[in-house]
Order: sequence, then C-alpha cells, then structure tokens
Amino acid sequence: MRYFVKVNGHDHEVVLSERLGELFVEVDGEGMDLVYEEVDALGQVLAIVGDSSFGVSIEGDSRRAGVTIAGHFYDVEIEDERERAALAAARAASVGGGLVKSVMPGVVVSLLVAEGDVVEEGQALLVLEAMKMQNEIAAPTAGEVRLIHVAEGEAVSAGAKLVELEVPAES
Amino acid sequence: MFDRILVANRGEIALRILRTAREMGIDTVAVYSEFDRRALHVRMAHQAIALGGELPSQSYLVAEKIIDAAKRSGAQAIHPGYGFLAENAKFAAAVTEAGIAWIGPPPGAIEVMGDKITSRRAMQEAGVPLVPGLTDAVADVAEAIEASEGIGYPVAIKAAAGGGGKGIRIVREPSEMESAFRTASGEAVSAFGDGRLYIERYLDQPRHIEVQVLFDAHGDAVHFGERECSIQRRHQKLIEECPSVIIDEVVRAKMGEVALQAGHAVNYEGAGTVEFLWSGGEFFFLEMNTRLQVEHPVTEMVTGVDLVREQLRVAAGEPLGYGQDAIKMHGHSIEVRINAEDTTAGFVPSVGTVKNLRMPGGAGVRVDSCLYRGMEVGLAYDPMLAKVIVHAHDRATAIRRMRRVLEELNVSGVRISAPAALAVLEEEAFQKGEFDTHFLEGLDLSKPRGSEERLVAAVAALYRRHRAADRALAGSGETRRGWRERSRAMTSTYAKVAGRSAKRGKA
Repeated sequence: MRYFVKVNGHDHEVVLSERLGELFVEVDGEGMDLVYEEVDALGQVLAIVGDSSFGVSIEGDSRRAGVTIAGHFYDVEIEDERERAALAAARAASVGGGLVKSVMPGVVVSLLVAEGDVVEEGQALLVLEAMKMQNEIAAPTAGEVRLIHVAEGEAVSAGAKLVELEVPAES
Repeated sequence: MFDRILVANRGEIALRILRTAREMGIDTVAVYSEFDRRALHVRMAHQAIALGGELPSQSYLVAEKIIDAAKRSGAQAIHPGYGFLAENAKFAAAVTEAGIAWIGPPPGAIEVMGDKITSRRAMQEAGVPLVPGLTDAVADVAEAIEASEGIGYPVAIKAAAGGGGKGIRIVREPSEMESAFRTASGEAVSAFGDGRLYIERYLDQPRHIEVQVLFDAHGDAVHFGERECSIQRRHQKLIEECPSVIIDEVVRAKMGEVALQAGHAVNYEGAGTVEFLWSGGEFFFLEMNTRLQVEHPVTEMVTGVDLVREQLRVAAGEPLGYGQDAIKMHGHSIEVRINAEDTTAGFVPSVGTVKNLRMPGGAGVRVDSCLYRGMEVGLAYDPMLAKVIVHAHDRATAIRRMRRVLEELNVSGVRISAPAALAVLEEEAFQKGEFDTHFLEGLDLSKPRGSEERLVAAVAALYRRHRAADRALAGSGETRRGWRERSRAMTSTYAKVAGRSAKRGKA
C-alpha cells in the first residue's frame, strides 16, 4: 500500500508491502530498517531505525495525526492513493478563496462590518475573544462582504466559517 | 497554626498549596466547579465541596459560595492561590469579616496595588522609581494622543484594573491609537468590568525582573532575590529563571530594598511580588502582585524556602523568625509553563482530552501539574496545565537539563507550549543571556523544528495500517472477544528490511 504523507508541510511517500508475513517499509524510495512496536493503546510507540531508538507518541485519525518525538511536534496529513484521487477532484471543484474561517475557538465579541460592506485587505472584520484575549480578525483580501455566518456573542469552534467575501475578479 | 484550610482555586496551584498543607499536618478542603468534579485537586484534598456551575463565574469567582464552603467545612483560613479572587480586596475583606483568616495581604494593600493608577501614586509618594507616564486615566482617544505627545512614543496603553497581559496595547504612532484604544478598552471591560486606561512610556529592550518579598504581621520583612521573566508573549510569561544573568549582588540588594520599601508603603503582609522593568541598568516599578506568583517555584529551588509554608505561618500570626542574612541563593533554576496552545499558529488555545501522558523525572526536576489521563481541556479556564522546573549548580547546566526535560515530556490530546520553550532554550542568544521582553515575539515559531520527518512518515503509515487492521478484525456481539484475542496473535507479524527481522505487535 502506498501512502502520501505530509509531515510539517513536506511531502513524503511511504510504501508498506507485506511479503510472506514480513512487512517492508520504504520511505521516499528508500528502504527503512524499522522496528515498530505499540507500547500501549494510547499512542506510545517504540521505533528503532537501524540502531537508533525513538520514543514516539502519535494521536489522531486516519487522515490527520500529531506525532511527538523528543519534544518536537510533527503535524501529519496522510492519504492513500484512492483518497488522494478523490480529494484532488474535490479541491478542483472549490475554487475562489473569499471565506474567512476562525483559526481558534472563541466568542465573537463584536462585528465591525455588515453584509454588503466593501472592505480593504487587512481591515478588521470582527473581534474574536479567546482565553479572554481580544483579537481582531482581518480581511485576507479586499472585497465585498457577501455573507456573515456568525452573530455577536456567538461561540465558534476552530475552523468555523466567519465571513464570506466576494473577491473582485482579476482584471 | 491552622488545623484546616480551604483552597479557593483549581489546577496546579490548588495542588501546590494542598501538598504543603498536608506536609504541615493541616487538613485541606478543596472546592470545585461541575467541570472539575474529577480534577486532581478534588481527589487530593481531605474534603471537597462542590460549588456548582460549569464556568468560573458560577463557581470559583462567587465569593459567597467560597465563604459558605469554608464555614461548612470548618476551615479556619482561605488560601486564594493566584487568579480568580486572589487579588479581590472585597473578597479578602468578606473572608476576614466572616471570622476566617485570609492567607494573603490586607484588603487595603490589595486595593492600592490592584489599581495601576492608585499604585503609581502610592509608589511615587514612597520614592519608588516609576516609568515616565500619567498617573491619571485618559478619557478618550484624543486625550490619549495629546498625553502621548508629552510622554513620547512609543507608549503603552494599559487597563487601570489590568493584569495578566489583558487590556494592554503598544502604540508607536498617533494613527495606531484609535484601534488600540478600542480593543484595549473592550478587553478591559470584558476581563475586569472596568474600561479605564492609562498611558506610560514604552521602554526599549526592557527586561521583566521581579522581586519576591515576604512580610510578617509584626513589621518584619525579607526579600528572596529576583526572578527573570522576560521570555513572554503578549505579557504572558513562558520561561522564568532565578537568578537573572544581568543582576549582580549590588543591584539585587538595591532592588530588594526598593521592593521592601514598596511593600512597607502599603502596610503589606504575606508573600508578594514587586515587578520591575529593567532597561539599560535602570529599573522602574511596574506593579505589585499581591499574591503567590505562578513562577514562585524557581525562587523556592534556589533559596530552599517553601513559600506556601511561609504564607501559612505569617497568616497564622507567626513572626518571620529570620532576617535577610538567612536568605542564601544556590545555583540556578528555570521554569517552563506548559500551556494548552498551538505555538506554531500564534499561540492559539488548544482544546481536547488528554490521552497520552509522559512526565519527566530525574535529578533536579520538579513538576507542578494538574494533568491526568482523561482530563478535558476546555476554553472556560486558564490554559496552563503544568509547570516543569529544573535546578542545577549553574545556568548552562540548568538549560541543558530543561532541554532534556522537555524532550521527555509528552502530552497528547492537546497541543502544548513545550516546543516553543524548547526553541527558546536552543537559541544561542538565550543561552548567552542576551534577550529582552520582545525576544519570544521576535522568534519565528511558525515552522516546526523537528528533523525526523522520514521516520514520522513511516510511523504514521504503520499506525494507520494497524488501526485499519483493528477495525477489520473487530467483530460484533459474542464473537467480538474471540476475534480480539485472535487479532492480537495475528498482528504479531514481522517487519523485515535489508535482512533484518523485528517483531511488531502490542506489548
């Protein structure tokens, strides 16, 4: 099975193949001499590469995982060949990037724009409070406010849609 | 000494206080919100009293509920910890009026020091050096701009009732004033219910140096030297040290004297911290925190004093029993705060349920933590989960020890601030002691620094393959158990590359 693994934004390819009950690991076209041992059901893994030992912690689901080795965190996105094809098709279908999403969970303290307003790039759209700190969420691009998805006082989760901007067509 | 005390707090600080009380043979009473019903501080106290409510505003911040709990449990004293009601003069007064001892300074001292404007006035009168600025609140943007011309840019606008970095904005030119004024005022209203702002000079390359003080009820006081807290972001500290590399014996004695002068001016009692901004050899009074600080352990490690024990003794009316000569500093200590936040994405809060947990250990390591497996980390409470503290004979060794400790530490389920702290400790400038309060903000933390990407890719693929195998093998109903047993046997396969065999399976 071939996996496309994005680690901290960098692409890697992993091939796992089983032959006669033995598992072969190949990363970026090179064989890896790897011992992989799950220590518990919580995601603690022992990995030995050659003679180098690593205490690894992994969490997540089949698409997205977080890995910690020696205090460093690695953000992992993983797809197999079938998923990669499906996602590529889905990405191609959704073009245009005027959607402002929340990068953090928080509460909308105040809306600074209304639907129909024309905003400049960097203009504050709303104030989001998280952990009692108020943060101005700025427009990523100039455009017209098409739709506001949230109301003042509303709690939002990370990734929630906040504001949709109509981006003027490139001339 | 008290027979029973109530700790009006949660998290690691509640545990910290409970531990000392238990060592002193004092019965402990914990209080908890509905959200915290399984928390460690509830499990470690002798008694636990529910306050009801999920949010702090329904529980830890309700003075009447806390005082009722103290009366009900027969507690003779209340320790407020830090945050929540710790610096609430009305609460301190209500506790004393209810016939319960308050483990903290007198309400009058909290009141004067708790307001930046009244504290500046009091310190000015006491001859304590202040940062150039106004001692009165400004009414609006126009007045703020006018005042700033006199003080000189850049200026800092700050909430009069502020603390913890909330309601503070730096303004470098008049055009930035309006937006800064609006957000600072909004933050001040929502955090403190008081939107008043004041203005002062913003110092260049400043370092945040604070002095730990302790006053008994009989007019005697000592200081325990300084803490270096310059590694901070938006005024939230991340790494603290004791001592500071830039403070020598002479300056330490001088700062200590000024800190005691500040405390005497407000008839202080108990433990407190006088914060200074240090810039180019000068130091200026910033504020006094009338409570135990988060970072108090670094002072404890270096001086060998248990500050909570001293707080309890002083609150019970005992005299200090020692003078300044008795305070000796040994070696170097560093603390790192473990917060639930994603430091690669601008320190945004991270929420989740803690799963994996591996705590560091070994020589010279102290862990003050409220973490347990299954702990939920939400948005309603402070994101600080733990503090790791190291002690060594010198700073270089302490830094190496802390790096080792952060490499050992592992918390999953939420993102934590440890990688950012590790990045700071790896910086040459930090190791040389050359930094100021802007150091952390100037560091690019958006790019992860781990160098084991290929291994991570392989492990992630194997982990996913195992989970898929688990799902495929998981049956239903009666057959499930049998299938599980069989699946365990079957997943003990072998990985072999380049002629090397290795067992793979679950231990």
